[in-house]
Amino acid sequence: MPEPKQEVPILEAPLLEVRDLRKHFATRRGLLSALSREAGSQVIPAIDGVSFDLHENETLGLVGESGCGKTTTGKAILKLHNVTSGTIRYRGADITSQTQAQFRPLRRDIQMIFQDLDAALNPKVRIQDILNEAVRIGEPGADKEAVQRRIYELLDLVNLKKNKLANFPSELSGGEKRRIGIARVLAVRPKLIVADEPTSALDVSIQAQVINLMRDLQAQFGLSYLFISHDLQLVELMSHRVAVMYLGQIVEMGPAKEVAKHPKHPYTSILWASIVEKRSKEIEDGGAAPAWGVFDFERPRGGCRFAPRCPVYAARGKPAICTDSASAPTLQPTGEGRVVACHFPL
Amino acid sequence: MSEQMNKPPLLRIEDLRTYFYSRVKRAFVRSVDGVDLEVMHGETLGIVGESGSGKSVTMLSAMGLVTTTPGVITGKVTFHDESPKDLLEGLDANVKLERREGRIMRVAKDNQLWQKQADRNLKGVRGGKISMIFQNPRAALNPFETVGKQIAEAVRLHTNIKGAAEAKEKAMYWLEQVRIDSPRMRYGNHPYGLSGGMSQRAMIAMALAAEPKMLIADEPTTGLDATIQARIVDLLDDLKARLGMTMVLISHDIGVISRLSDRIAVMYGGRVMETGPAAEVLDEHAEGHPYTRALLSSTPRPENVLASGHLPAIEGEVLDTINVPPGCRFKARCQRINDTVRPHCESQEPELFELGSDRRIRCWLYAPK
Repeated sequence: MPEPKQEVPILEAPLLEVRDLRKHFATRRGLLSALSREAGSQVIPAIDGVSFDLHENETLGLVGESGCGKTTTGKAILKLHNVTSGTIRYRGADITSQTQAQFRPLRRDIQMIFQDLDAALNPKVRIQDILNEAVRIGEPGADKEAVQRRIYELLDLVNLKKNKLANFPSELSGGEKRRIGIARVLAVRPKLIVADEPTSALDVSIQAQVINLMRDLQAQFGLSYLFISHDLQLVELMSHRVAVMYLGQIVEMGPAKEVAKHPKHPYTSILWASIVEKRSKEIEDGGAAPAWGVFDFERPRGGCRFAPRCPVYAARGKPAICTDSASAPTLQPTGEGRVVACHFPL
Repeated sequence: MSEQMNKPPLLRIEDLRTYFYSRVKRAFVRSVDGVDLEVMHGETLGIVGESGSGKSVTMLSAMGLVTTTPGVITGKVTFHDESPKDLLEGLDANVKLERREGRIMRVAKDNQLWQKQADRNLKGVRGGKISMIFQNPRAALNPFETVGKQIAEAVRLHTNIKGAAEAKEKAMYWLEQVRIDSPRMRYGNHPYGLSGGMSQRAMIAMALAAEPKMLIADEPTTGLDATIQARIVDLLDDLKARLGMTMVLISHDIGVISRLSDRIAVMYGGRVMETGPAAEVLDEHAEGHPYTRALLSSTPRPENVLASGHLPAIEGEVLDTINVPPGCRFKARCQRINDTVRPHCESQEPELFELGSDRRIRCWLYAPK
C-alpha cells in the first residue's frame, strides 16, 4: 500500500465542498434568563466560517484543541446538526438545503466512525444482529445467505474471527469494538468516512492496528476520510492534507508534512511545538523552549481570534490590525497548496 | 550524592499482588501479579504501561486506596522515611481465602476491619508524607469549597502551620508555585470556575501543600489539550528541580514519561517487564524487552511509518489477566521469540534478569548463559 502522496491531483471536482459553514449554538443561563431571552442568551459560534474541499481517495486531517469545532464540523457533514449558514456540497449537490428524507439516499455514501466505542454499539444486541441490520440497509433485497456471506466478508475485511458474532459488545475488547464499528460502516459501501478520534480510546499497541486497517481500507475502496483528532503526530502520518482549527475557524491548511515541518500560522507552530516528546528532544539538544502565548479564554471581539495568545502579536508590539474587527485575517494562499489566515505569517 | 546512594529506597514494593474477584466470571482478575519496585530518594520513577497493565492499581494498593470488594492484596510495601514502615501490615488477617484444589474459590473479607487497619498503617503517610495527584482534577477537588480553602486545609492538616491567616498565606504561596495567574483572585474561585489545566494546577498545589516526601502523579496530563499538557509537564519538571521531590509518575504516554523520569518501569499484564535508566529503556536501538521495543516503534509517529505505509503494530490483544497463560505473559504477541528460547517462553515465566548494573529485563532472551 503506498504512502499518502503529498500532492493530490486537483483535476476532478472535489467529492465534498464545504463553504463558509457556520453553526451557532444558543445557550441560556438559568431559569430567569431563559424567560428573558435577550438578556441571558449567549451565542457560541462553534464553527464560524469553515471552508474546505475533500477529494476522492484523500484524507483531510482536522486538528485543534478541544472546543475548537472539529467534531461539530464532522457532524454537520452528516447532517446531524442543522447548520446556521453556509453550504456543504457532496458531488456537487447541496446537502444543507436538503430535508432529512432527501438526504437519506446519501447517508450510505457518507458515514461516521464515532469517538465513543461503547456508545456507538447497542449493548443489548449481539454483533451478528448489529452487522445484520447494517448489511440489510447496504444490500436491500438480498436474501438471507447473501446477507450472511456479506457479514463474513466484512469480518474478514476488519480481521475479526467469526466466533465474535455471538458476542455482545461488552464482551469485546476496545480494539474489537472499534473494528466492529468500522465493519458496520463498511456494510453500506460508503465513499466518505468522517472518523472522529478513531483511536483515542484505544491502547497504544492497538492504535497502530486500527491505523493500518484504515489505511488498507482506503487503498482498497478508494475511501475519503475526514480524520478528526487532537493527536498531532497521528494526523500528520494519516493525512494527505491537514486543516488546523482554532475557535471555530480554520487558521491554516495545506499538505500535512509541510504544515507540520514549516508551520506558517503562529498557532500551528505552538500546537506542533507542544508535542511533549519533541520538546524533550529540543531541550536535550540545548534549543530554547518555544515561547508561549498568554491564555485568555475570553473570545476577542474582533480581528484575529488568536491574537490574545499569539506570541507574534506580542513580539510585534500588539499591532492594531490584529485586533481590528474590520480586518479579521482570512485564508490567503502562500503557495504549495497552502493557505494561512494571519497578518504576519511565520 | 554518595550519601543518597547508601540510603535505603524511600519506597520499596515487594511481591505485591492485587486480585479482584469477578462474580460474573467466577474468577480472579490478577491486576497486579507480583510487582517489585524501588523508588530512591530524589528520583522520578516513571511507570509506563497500557490500560489494564496494573500501573495505577500498584500505587493505589500501596496507598490503601483499593477498596473495591472482594479483593486480595498481598505483599510488602515499605515506606522508609526515618524508620521503615510496612504499609500493608496486618491486612491479611482480615481476609479468609477458601481454596479448592489449590485454586482460590472464595474470599471472605472483613471490609471494615480491613479499612481500619489500612487507615492505621497509612496515618500520617497518605496525604502527608506521600501525596497523590490524579487524572481527573475536577473529581479530586471539592466542588462546594473554594480552591484556596482546600489548599489551606491541606496546609493546616499536614504541616506545623495551624493559624488560619498563616495557612492562607501559605496556600497563596503554593498557588504561585504552580504558576496560577493572579493567585489572589483564584484563591476565592470554586473548582468549576477553573479551566482543566488550572484545576490540574490547583490539585498539584494541594498535593504540594502537605510538603510531601513523595508525590505520586497518576496520568497527570491525560485528557488535557496538547498545549496545556506541555505546560503541565513543564511545571512538574520545574517543581522536581526546585523542590528536589521524589516522584512516581504513572502514564501510558511515553512522551510524558521520557521527559520527566530518571528511571522507568514498564508494566504488562500485572507484571514489571523491564526497569532501568530512562534513556536506556527508551532507546529504540539499544537492547531491551521485546514489548518495550514494539511499543516504542508502534507509537503513531511519522518517523515510525514503514516503507509500506504501515505502522509496525503489535498484533493480538492485551493480556487477559483472568486466564494468565503459563510461561511469559507477552509470548503470544512477541516478535522476537525464536526456536532457541521458545521452550522456556512457553513453559516458565522469566524472572527479571540483570543486564548491567541498573537494568533488569523479564525476558528469556536475556537469561544468563
